[in-house]
Amino acid sequence: MLKIAFDSYTLANGLQVIFHTDRSSPLVAVDLWYHVGSKDESPGRTGFAHLFEHLMFMGSRHAPYPAFDAIMESWGGHNNGTTSNDRTNYYEIGPRNLLETFLWLEADRLATLPDVITAEELEKQLKVVQNERRQSYENRPYGRAELAIPESMYPADHPYHWPTIGSHEDLEAATVDDVRAFFDRFYRPSNASLVVAGDFDPAEARRLVERYFGWQPAREAPAHAPRPPLPVLPADVELTMTDRVQLPRLRLAWHTPALFEPGDADLDLAAHVLGGGKSSRLYRALVFEQRIAQDVFAYQGSQMLGSLFHIGATAKPEHGLDEISAAVDAELARLAADGPTEAELARARNTHLADFYKSLDHLQTRADLLNHYQNLLGDPDGVGRDVARYTAATRASVRDAFARALGQKHLALRTVPEPVTT
Amino acid sequence: MSVTPGAPRTLEAPEAMTVPPTVGPLPSVVPPTAERFTLSSGLEVVTLRREVAPIVSAALMIRSGAGEDPADRAGLASLTAEMLDEGAGARDALALADELERLGADLWVGSGRDGSQLSLQAPNDTFFQALDIAGDVLCRPLLTDDDWQRVLADRKTANAQRRDQPESVVSVVSDRLLFGDAHPYGRPVEGFPRTIEHLTLDHVRAFHQAYWRPNHASLVVAGAFDAANLRARLEAALGGWTAAPTPPPAPAPAWPERPRLCIVDRPGAPQSIIRFLAPGTDRLSPDRPGLAMLNAILGGSFTSRLNFNLREKNGFTYGASSSFAFLRRPGSFAARAAVFAEKTAPAVREMLGELQGLHERPITEEEHAKARATLLMRVAEGLATTGGIAASFGDIGLYGLPLDEPLRFVAALERTTADDLRALAARYVDPAAGMIVIVGDRAAIEPGLRELGLPAPLICDADGERL
Repeated sequence: MLKIAFDSYTLANGLQVIFHTDRSSPLVAVDLWYHVGSKDESPGRTGFAHLFEHLMFMGSRHAPYPAFDAIMESWGGHNNGTTSNDRTNYYEIGPRNLLETFLWLEADRLATLPDVITAEELEKQLKVVQNERRQSYENRPYGRAELAIPESMYPADHPYHWPTIGSHEDLEAATVDDVRAFFDRFYRPSNASLVVAGDFDPAEARRLVERYFGWQPAREAPAHAPRPPLPVLPADVELTMTDRVQLPRLRLAWHTPALFEPGDADLDLAAHVLGGGKSSRLYRALVFEQRIAQDVFAYQGSQMLGSLFHIGATAKPEHGLDEISAAVDAELARLAADGPTEAELARARNTHLADFYKSLDHLQTRADLLNHYQNLLGDPDGVGRDVARYTAATRASVRDAFARALGQKHLALRTVPEPVTT
Repeated sequence: MSVTPGAPRTLEAPEAMTVPPTVGPLPSVVPPTAERFTLSSGLEVVTLRREVAPIVSAALMIRSGAGEDPADRAGLASLTAEMLDEGAGARDALALADELERLGADLWVGSGRDGSQLSLQAPNDTFFQALDIAGDVLCRPLLTDDDWQRVLADRKTANAQRRDQPESVVSVVSDRLLFGDAHPYGRPVEGFPRTIEHLTLDHVRAFHQAYWRPNHASLVVAGAFDAANLRARLEAALGGWTAAPTPPPAPAPAWPERPRLCIVDRPGAPQSIIRFLAPGTDRLSPDRPGLAMLNAILGGSFTSRLNFNLREKNGFTYGASSSFAFLRRPGSFAARAAVFAEKTAPAVREMLGELQGLHERPITEEEHAKARATLLMRVAEGLATTGGIAASFGDIGLYGLPLDEPLRFVAALERTTADDLRALAARYVDPAAGMIVIVGDRAAIEPGLRELGLPAPLICDADGERL
């Protein structure tokens, strides 16, 4: 069974600590996950979890700005953070002699960040985030459609209704008090898990973790809202929007079971049968044989509170979205009726298995996987269970999961070229 | 536990928190051991073991790429590469893709400026089967007319779609203006719509025949491969691949005159994509290690001068950076940022100011130490994955470098002083001599750029045609 070797323990204050040693390179990675994402925000206060990720680099009491980046880069280390609907992570990678520095920096910002945050720093990072929104969505072809999908699929009070990046209005309304309150609620040792991976001595690392994190007081883990029932669209939703693009694109989405729920892995496999590579059904039909689409894709967007199954196809010049839509529907209906062939299922399964092997090659990816399973299952030892979901899938289970998904109402979002203005 | 908004919790931190930990010496970079042998076809093979994950990565590098495309056939090298896995040996395009998936293998064929490449990554227990397919792709591609029509049509559409992507547009226009129409680097690897138009399958066959030769290639195999059988399996998979003389590389013309400012109009764009460009140097230049360090200081790290100014100090952008493209022929030096449209002129002013600042605020000892550590650890990280090892040693093969190149590079970093960096800055970074290319809303940004003292802009379309 596939496994990532680890040792784990819990500090008195609730911080989950996970060690994974790999002496093949003189590198260490520190990967810290906080169990907070944009799902923990409130309407009108969106974009906070992600904005917070930026503020975490704005200095802490003993490492004032810009010490966090300056100290580690002076020794060849680097770092970043990412935010999703479900969680926020921070990681540092560098030479093994930086391990203590990484732990000190992470511990200091967890303990003291609200002491030093100022309105000026907040203002600066708001601008950076607004540029990120423009760069990643607004000035990118088809980017605005990506923002419209969750908004259309989830009701206004559902935690996935708003995008992780937030809205310009909410971002501009953010105050230092809001930031402190958000931090106070979610940034606690009991709401975090810390992976140390790479070339280090576990006994020494244990002493360092105790030294920098152990003194921080225990506080109750924040309550996360219970998982709402999977939303049901009352009727199919059809939307058309314009964008600065030359070719129209069709996007379809259905509500599907949450990450690790029954059906989730089956739908991942179904997505591969439909859109994974040249021999997939949609590619073969629309791109290879009929030659009406420039690209197609399909994926199960797995998340903790509920997933979306996505299809996308961009029409070739001289072809329209009605034609694309009919061709896609025919393939979807065929898969829902008959399921994949044995050969298709084997290909999808082997591809997923190979992807697991590849993910084990990279130190920080292994660290992230341990935290992923800790965040999701409450246990870092998840890779074997994860793989088993795929090996257990059958033609019938994939067909049934896909037919159930397809039986739901869905979103059809068309992006069409903006009228040309001269 | 209750939450009290607005009331910061202040913790009494223990002594240990109050001072930064001492940092011990940097570990040495120890590249994996490379072994070398030559197949009967003349193909040089380098192998490196890594057993952290049960996978094998192979990189076959052909020492010619888009740099050999004739001006009116830009896109040929990359289309040739793309056609090779559209059916090979006994399998048509779909059967070939099916079989690779069944094996859990990723096969990718493509071209860059200086080379073409076949990459293969597979679980170690199916690697040899995947290698047989890769051998078919290299030596026995089908190159059918029906596949060609489809691939060519896809490329035509992709080249048209490129105009939708402001980051792609700025690259195409920048290279065209910096290198000029006569230079192979002046044209995108994927070609222009007009150069793709007249390509035929015969051109593809001729390019494949001329350049995809074992004597013009090198192969790296890295990872958890079966060492006992590797050589025999390579001989079998690549049997029938024959050597032949290859044409010499096309010469590089001199740098042409370039405009000071070019704008590609994108009315209503919420961001302006800014590039500063100037001539750089080539892959074999002895200045490369020092320039890599200089670049880490200027725009090649988060705390670099450019990012610190444009992102952290001014909030103009999500990120600003710079880079040297070290290619077979001298490449470019570029600084870049995507900024709020209304901050375009101030961002250009600050970017040019930081380039000038390399001379007015000379590189400090701290910056020098940071640059050295950053580059050393980049080498270590590059060699810390199976794919990274294959890519690093693939590059060594592509440029004909010795196998101890990583250690030579490290040694060069170690002996480069802050004074050396200052001298390199004087030779390579001149804000007055470079060119500025912006993709953005012309009407909104041009007045501000005029106020900076910049001349009237050259206006180009998204393919770099002067309007």
